[in-house]
Amino acid sequence: MASVLAPEISSSGFSFENCQRNAFLAQKGFPAPKATKTGTTIVGIIYADGVILGADTRATENTVVSDKNCQKIHYLAGNMYCCGAGTAADTEMTTQTVASQLELQRLHTGRTVPVETAATLLKRMLFRYQGHIGAALVLGGVDRTGPHIYCIYPHGSVDKLPYATMGSGSLAAMAVFESGWKPKMTEEEGKKLVRDAIAAGIFNDLGSGSNVDICVIRNSGPAQYLRTYEEANVKGKKQGSYRYAPGTTAVLKQRVIPLEVESVAVHPVQPMEVEPASSRR
Amino acid sequence: MSILAYNGGAVVAMKGQDCVAIATDKRYGIQAQTVSTNFPKVYQMGPSLFVGLPGLATDTQTVFQRLKFRMNLYELKENRIMRPKTFSAMLSNLLYERRFGPYFIEPVIAGLDPYDNQPYVCNMDLIGCPNEPEDFVVSGTCSEQLYGMCEALWEPNLKPDELFETISQALVNAADRDAISGWGAVVYIIEKDKITEKHVKTRMD
Amino acid sequence: MAASVINTYADPSMPEWLSAPHSTGTSIMACEFNGGVVIGADSRTTTGAYIANRVTDKLTRITDHIYCCRSGSAADTQAIADIVTYHLNFHKMELGEEPLVQTAAAIFRELCYNYRDSLVAGILVAGWDKKKGGQIYSVPIGGMVQRQAVSIGGSGSSYVYGYVDANFKPNMSKEEAVKFVTSTLTLAMLRDGSSGGVVRLGVITESGVERSVVLGNQLPKFYEG
Repeated sequence: MASVLAPEISSSGFSFENCQRNAFLAQKGFPAPKATKTGTTIVGIIYADGVILGADTRATENTVVSDKNCQKIHYLAGNMYCCGAGTAADTEMTTQTVASQLELQRLHTGRTVPVETAATLLKRMLFRYQGHIGAALVLGGVDRTGPHIYCIYPHGSVDKLPYATMGSGSLAAMAVFESGWKPKMTEEEGKKLVRDAIAAGIFNDLGSGSNVDICVIRNSGPAQYLRTYEEANVKGKKQGSYRYAPGTTAVLKQRVIPLEVESVAVHPVQPMEVEPASSRR
Repeated sequence: MSILAYNGGAVVAMKGQDCVAIATDKRYGIQAQTVSTNFPKVYQMGPSLFVGLPGLATDTQTVFQRLKFRMNLYELKENRIMRPKTFSAMLSNLLYERRFGPYFIEPVIAGLDPYDNQPYVCNMDLIGCPNEPEDFVVSGTCSEQLYGMCEALWEPNLKPDELFETISQALVNAADRDAISGWGAVVYIIEKDKITEKHVKTRMD
Repeated sequence: MAASVINTYADPSMPEWLSAPHSTGTSIMACEFNGGVVIGADSRTTTGAYIANRVTDKLTRITDHIYCCRSGSAADTQAIADIVTYHLNFHKMELGEEPLVQTAAAIFRELCYNYRDSLVAGILVAGWDKKKGGQIYSVPIGGMVQRQAVSIGGSGSSYVYGYVDANFKPNMSKEEAVKFVTSTLTLAMLRDGSSGGVVRLGVITESGVERSVVLGNQLPKFYEG
């Protein structure tokens, strides 16, 4: 039973407790801040020895760049990663949820989880929410059946392709793939093509920007996450310093809260003496 | 008008060398009418962990209470204090639970990791997408002005007193260009052995 | 302050069609012949005006002897096909033999009818079973079911009803049926902007399915003005 003093711990899943209030506020002329539509450039290709995923690193709030170097390639499992476009919180939370389900599945079965499983979990989750979870994903990975790239749309449809692009920069990136992709590319060719596709998005699409992130997942061996594979836009060096002299800001009152620094002591561990069973009373 | 700008307010946090700072204005208003000039939006959540919750004031208070509740449960269960990174994951989950009926706040988190003293700053959108940059985070009704000030003033490896001047000037000058922020400000400088709370003099118009 | 919005990786000036739900503006077809059925589809998936996938496979396996041709919302039809596949696998295990095409069609109809307000799905169920041989069932939007000897569907179908009526003959040979389906789909793709790409075919007989592709440059030639 919930009481004022001991509120009930909320159950898992979404809560709709604020919806009525928010609808009332909307009716009074304070609409809920709207989610702007999909942006970003994310891509994935299959090459001779696995898959390569790529993403730009810009996050925006309306027209303001809210993160100049964010991570859009999310971890799902050791053998698969997932690029996300759309509402940032949705891509983040959806991939985290599925990553945890995949890890449980791996521990339960003791096998490498197939990429198809991740695609199925993602599409079921997105279909269930009928497009209200605005996550557009490019899923890439390898398993015992080889390399796979899946395109997963917010409404829950899936395309399985040898090369895929998503987000507002997808047209620019797809133009690069349509002219440059061929089967059985080498790793170097593949990385170059993915870089070119992301760069096309960064420079030709307003919603995409900053750096190129790449993730290479080979048929054998661990995935290689190349965070900031290329800094497509190097920030200019600051020519002057706007450091204020101490005392510039007028302080009305001040309070210092000292913190106890706990000393770190290393205690040598003595081997514990075990009494012989006979001496037990 | 956006509901996030109903009460007004601004929060900013910055990383320095072995220190972090978080600053908030003190105004509480109802649209253009100023009601109080003693409503800081920053709360101390742990010995060296602070959270700023600018946005709709009713949600500022509700979210603070819910956070405190969850944090107390964590610390009772785990018998250790919470790291800033864990705290932002908790806040992120709290906000994303309300994905389809959000709280109208955009939080800022600042703290020193209690285990390795690493500075940590983070901000989130109203449905809990975390953003953990290497320099500074801003939020509130004058976030655009704050972005401009911070982008110009911030530089790496600022010492605590330098960080105080930088963050104070960033907030004060940004809030001067916002009609619904200001009316006093509080700055917290978090170091590994002490926290300094400074009430800064600002314009009162 | 500008209305602060939910953090996205977004371009606010992005055109609406990029985020429109993903649908298969389509040409699909199924045709009975003397040993089974021929199914066919174009390969274009559109999101507004953008071709999101030019090599789509709209012929989806339900069991070894039953396939469906999907048109409408990609998400809806994929989900329905997955659910029917699940039910038929279960049914097959209980029954110990291959399910009937009619059974598959009944499950499609059940789902399409019960959820008719939230689904956009026009499906052709085609296959072969021991009881009635090659069969085609059409399950259009709204959740009706109707057996037909030949059936066309999707946005491209409206251009070729006359062609189908003029050229369909009962009890064709396999080669005649394949040629008829290929020609019909080619004509539909030529006239319909949201259909195109290659023609994907499947021939379902007692021995299972035989899949093939007719590439764009191998399609039959017709008058193009």
